[in-house]
Amino acid sequence: MSRIMLLLFALFLVRSNATAIDYESEIKPLFVEKCGACHGVLQQEAGLRLDAGSFVRQGSDDGSVLDFEHPRQSRLVERIATTDHNHRMPPEGQGTPLSKQQINKLIEWIESGATSPADEPIIASPQEHWAYQRPIKRPLPQASKTSDSTNPIDVWMDAKWQQAGLVPTFRANPANLLRRIYLDVTGLPPTLDQQDAVLEDSELANWSTLVDQLLDDPAYGEKWGRHWMDVWRYSDWDGYKNEVRGSQPHIWHWRDWIVESLNADKGYDAMVIEMLAGDEIAPEDMNTLRATGFLVRNFHKSNRDIWLDATVEHSAKAFLGMTIACARCHDHKYDPISQQEYYNLRAVFEPHRVRTEPLPGQSDTSKQGLPRAYDADLDIETFLYVQGNEKNPDKAHPLEPGVPAIIDTTFQVDAIPLPTVASHPFMRDHVEAEELTFIREELKKAQDAIASEPDEQSTPIARQTLVLAKAKLDSAERRWAATKAKIHSESASASLASQAADAERSFQFQQTLLSVLKQRSAVSAANELQETDEKKKKQSIDAAEKKLTELEKELVEASVQLTQSENNFTPVGTSYPTTSTGRRTAFAKWITHPDNPLAARVAINHLWMRHFGEPLVENVFDFGLRSSRPVHHELLDWLAVEFMENQWSMKHLHRLILNSRTYQLGSSPEQLGDAVLQQNLSIDPDNEYFWRANVRRLEAEVVRDSVLAVAGSLDRTMGGADIDFEDGEKNNRRSLYFRHAYEKQMQMLVTFDAANPTDCYRRTESIIPQQALALANSPLAMDQSRLLAQRISAQVSDGNSFTHLAFRITLGRQATDSELSTCSQFLQQQTDLLANQTSLSPVGVAKTTVQPATNAESRARENLIHVLMNHNDFVTLR
Amino acid sequence: MKTKHTSEQNRSVSNQHRRGFLQDLGLGFGSVALSSLLQTDTIAATAVPAIAPRAKNVIWLFMIGGASHMETFDPKPALTKFAGKTIDETPHGGVLKSPYLANERVVAFDPNNGFIRNEIYPLQVGYGPRGNSGIEISDWFPHLSECADDLCLVRSMWTEDSNHGAQLQFHTGRHRVDGFFPTIGSWATYGLGSLNENLPQFVVMGTPVADCCGGQECHRANYLGPQFDGVPLDVDSDTPLPYASPPAGVFREEQAGEFELLRQLHQLSSEQFPDDESLRARIRSYELAFRMQTAVPDVVRFDHESELTRRQYGLDQKETKAFGQQMLTARRLVERGVRFVQVYHGSNGGAGQWDSHTGLKDNHSKLCQQTDQPIAALLKDLKQRGLLDETLVVWATEFGRTPGAQSSNGRDHHPYGFSVWMAGGGIRGGITHGATDELGFHAVEDRHYVTDIHATLLHQLGLDPHQLVVEGRQRLEKDFGHVIHDIIA
Repeated sequence: MSRIMLLLFALFLVRSNATAIDYESEIKPLFVEKCGACHGVLQQEAGLRLDAGSFVRQGSDDGSVLDFEHPRQSRLVERIATTDHNHRMPPEGQGTPLSKQQINKLIEWIESGATSPADEPIIASPQEHWAYQRPIKRPLPQASKTSDSTNPIDVWMDAKWQQAGLVPTFRANPANLLRRIYLDVTGLPPTLDQQDAVLEDSELANWSTLVDQLLDDPAYGEKWGRHWMDVWRYSDWDGYKNEVRGSQPHIWHWRDWIVESLNADKGYDAMVIEMLAGDEIAPEDMNTLRATGFLVRNFHKSNRDIWLDATVEHSAKAFLGMTIACARCHDHKYDPISQQEYYNLRAVFEPHRVRTEPLPGQSDTSKQGLPRAYDADLDIETFLYVQGNEKNPDKAHPLEPGVPAIIDTTFQVDAIPLPTVASHPFMRDHVEAEELTFIREELKKAQDAIASEPDEQSTPIARQTLVLAKAKLDSAERRWAATKAKIHSESASASLASQAADAERSFQFQQTLLSVLKQRSAVSAANELQETDEKKKKQSIDAAEKKLTELEKELVEASVQLTQSENNFTPVGTSYPTTSTGRRTAFAKWITHPDNPLAARVAINHLWMRHFGEPLVENVFDFGLRSSRPVHHELLDWLAVEFMENQWSMKHLHRLILNSRTYQLGSSPEQLGDAVLQQNLSIDPDNEYFWRANVRRLEAEVVRDSVLAVAGSLDRTMGGADIDFEDGEKNNRRSLYFRHAYEKQMQMLVTFDAANPTDCYRRTESIIPQQALALANSPLAMDQSRLLAQRISAQVSDGNSFTHLAFRITLGRQATDSELSTCSQFLQQQTDLLANQTSLSPVGVAKTTVQPATNAESRARENLIHVLMNHNDFVTLR
Repeated sequence: MKTKHTSEQNRSVSNQHRRGFLQDLGLGFGSVALSSLLQTDTIAATAVPAIAPRAKNVIWLFMIGGASHMETFDPKPALTKFAGKTIDETPHGGVLKSPYLANERVVAFDPNNGFIRNEIYPLQVGYGPRGNSGIEISDWFPHLSECADDLCLVRSMWTEDSNHGAQLQFHTGRHRVDGFFPTIGSWATYGLGSLNENLPQFVVMGTPVADCCGGQECHRANYLGPQFDGVPLDVDSDTPLPYASPPAGVFREEQAGEFELLRQLHQLSSEQFPDDESLRARIRSYELAFRMQTAVPDVVRFDHESELTRRQYGLDQKETKAFGQQMLTARRLVERGVRFVQVYHGSNGGAGQWDSHTGLKDNHSKLCQQTDQPIAALLKDLKQRGLLDETLVVWATEFGRTPGAQSSNGRDHHPYGFSVWMAGGGIRGGITHGATDELGFHAVEDRHYVTDIHATLLHQLGLDPHQLVVEGRQRLEKDFGHVIHDIIA
């Protein structure tokens, strides 16, 4: 929405002359951006602060920096406008110089008296920043006379509206509301039956029952799962051909964990802990291990620094609204975070790596498996990179794991001993059973091969294959027994090791023997080859004989080995460290500690934004000093505390929001009447006070899913492996199940602003002609409109009834009288047009699955449905 | 994401805007302001242009894989003279101790490529002075040589990446491992908007860079939003643009009927919601989409091009046909006001065809042949139509190649010194700018990082790169680059 508004307003500014300079929107941001690092609350070079108007007027140690008589000669202006590089502010390398326009604005501001609001908030130290204070539930303001709602969201909002002199819109009409809540909660439009069931009650008195019902729908987890996948940077693997360069194959397990956890209303705190440290808090539980996909996703093949930098940066942005990445090369310029603290946080993640756990039924982890995080290098040290240069680590001072001190909450690291299956994953029951079963099957095959032939005819190769299969089984069984005995430190482990070593040597001998037999037969074959070219023939005979000689040498060696008695055997499987550092658990618990002021607020802000279209705190990943106290600060805090008091239940928060009047307000301000509307617009044109609902465009996934859903084609199968993104037009599963990674994205979704897989804390809402083309010309939309037209025509016969139903199914509302008559006219004209197809000119190439109706009237109806799928309301939430 | 001026504009203009909209409803959607609605989320709409524009359009030609500067535009007779010697054995051994070597950023070590090759490999092609200006161009560009007096050869480029991520780096100014950023084409269109409301403003032709090396991020807008992405156009296809035409079996008249109904229904909606800006934008987007359906295929239909023109672009020869079609389309696009046309040559699903670790002579002579005549035809055609003055043509590649030999008859990657050229759009023709050392190793005179080309290009379009900033997204100083004033006419 804001983006759209910008488009329009940009045009109008060209026409209107700029009005008087506005300190809040034009001057203050300049000071913050250009001067804040050295002349703000963190630092006051020359005793000058520029982060509030009163400070600017106060001046520096050397006196005033403003000259009201000759604004151009103000010291402030001179220093920023000079061409002398040694003198110019901001200094070389500390920021780009101000543009002429920016300087002129400053001069204009000084000319007009350098005024600023008297109540401009000022903090004396970074600790005082609003976001670093623990949120508290302030007493609710007196309930308003105009509203009877006791929902705390409404009470807080009402107080703000009264204070600002704003009048909220009325409750949205039932059809609108129903569509809004369905798409908002489940990502799917309400079906006709669902509309009928609810709209019988025109007052929507059972609203709260509907809220509960929708939150219980598994589709809720899919819709909101995709939201959190944005914030947590879900990405399927990327790479060239089969080479994995980023993220990991099978990371969809993490996606399924997200969806399931949301549906089960797992606490947000528990989710954060499991994502950062699931391998430490539940090392044996494969379900929980899926959560560590959050870490796995950062895997970067070519460079460990990039991998860890991404982990640090995005953990801080996602969970804390902290832009700590700025402190990689120097102390943070705007926030109280030192460079060392950046590396303390890096140390939290330094020991971890990723691996893929085999799953029952498939030992080949390239085909199936569970990618997960674990601590691999327990003693690895972390060094600060001087000026961020990885070629220059400060090796003299290894750094401990730690967290930014500005958040004064316990951070306690305790190493965690791991259970057997965590450090020896092959000790899970299924691994041994499956491996031995596989070998037994080979043995059975070898036996069958011999049994199928009379004894005297079985070749030496077949007989040796059987001997080898037996030896292989024996070797495997004994290696398993010995490995297990060793892990459990059993007293018999030495003798078992000896047996395993013997069996393994025997297996190797039999294997070499088989190779020799096979090569002998290859030599004979070479001799009998029908080859006229003598030279070629000799070459192949020589090559075969040479290889035989080598193998026979190996056989001699293997037989010598048979006489050895060393206990060395190859243990089954790969083992990993038996403890984990506990660093990530400590970090996760620090984040979710009730005293941490950031985590709950950041989460609430994300939830709010996705219900209302705009967040409470404008920059959803930066709650630092540049983020000024939000208009709805008290409400945000109240919700944050409420969240924590209710086991961080997201469904509790959804319920609170969805049941509020504020959520249910209408989006069209016209109903307020022109006078009130003008007043509202003059006070709050941006709707910062949420006095009306924001009109929103549906997210990419919801657009595609809606096309399938209204036609009744949507395949609601949940979960499972990622689907090829190229199948988006043919496969009717929900959009979140398709592969989504760098260079692996569905065209339709990209066109509608799908999440950037590398970073998407907030979606863009663009309106571009390619979106129109996608809905107008894609085989998907064409197929589905034909299917829906057939379905509706099966229920009703006359054109107006058809149109009625078509509007309700596709747009979730009744057609107006004008729409009805327009459509009726269209159906008539289009039927006439299509009745004589020989006079028409066919266009187009792409193949559809569903053929158009042969009957002109039916085809006109298909056209009507297709138009409705392109209607603005189809992709819009009002 | 809100960009810079949102709230101020909202406050000052919302009432006017409302009145304006109500008027528009009666007038249809033809006004100039509204016609740029869809594509003008731009700073140009708010800022006073600081610089008088010299060019309106850009044609950006990018050779994928790394064209050798020594065999194209930067003759180095010393290579032939010292052929077979090691660099240390020549009088120019100092190049191996240059501080410029530190500019290279190796992130993913490649055991096979990306090394300094020590044994000097002789020049594989002859050179001669071309045009009145006498600038030297290799013999593999006979046609382009006829345009020498329009070319400005920049022989002193350098970049950081010694692997093919440098392809991405040339378009965003950032090393491959720094991630993805808006590309030069998207910045230009972000800054200027469109001149044609029936076509996308930023068009891409040729098979894009492969995903090893930046993939489609080489023509995307990243955080500027998808409306500034380069739109790939497949000139040799029935469907030049994704979803550009309806599925098979649909009648043109049938679709026109649908669009008319949609227009009427949207009109009814806008009477009900006069304040809904997104609805207005969507109405426009459908009008534009409808016209794009005919305008796009029309661009790649050469019916009205003369036989002579087709021959000039090399459409009659199999070597030059593919690139010739793209060059002809490029002219047709800028003729129609498309702001930025980006053409890739040499994509092969991997590092790129120009990547000549072996067989450089065969490889480069073949690739030069594919591109030489079509590019020359483009320049001549633009000039003849009076379009070259307002169209800036850039020829670039991700890096040069080593003075030393690799696998006996090839050259390795070389980020320390290489060449690009520009023509038209207010750039001085018939000149060379900057230089590499005797061996073609380091750019030593008037050195330019890749974003200097961006800065110069934007400057010619009337944009100051420093204006191109989006709140919440930090741009580094090196992202902006420096205008190469010496080459501006």
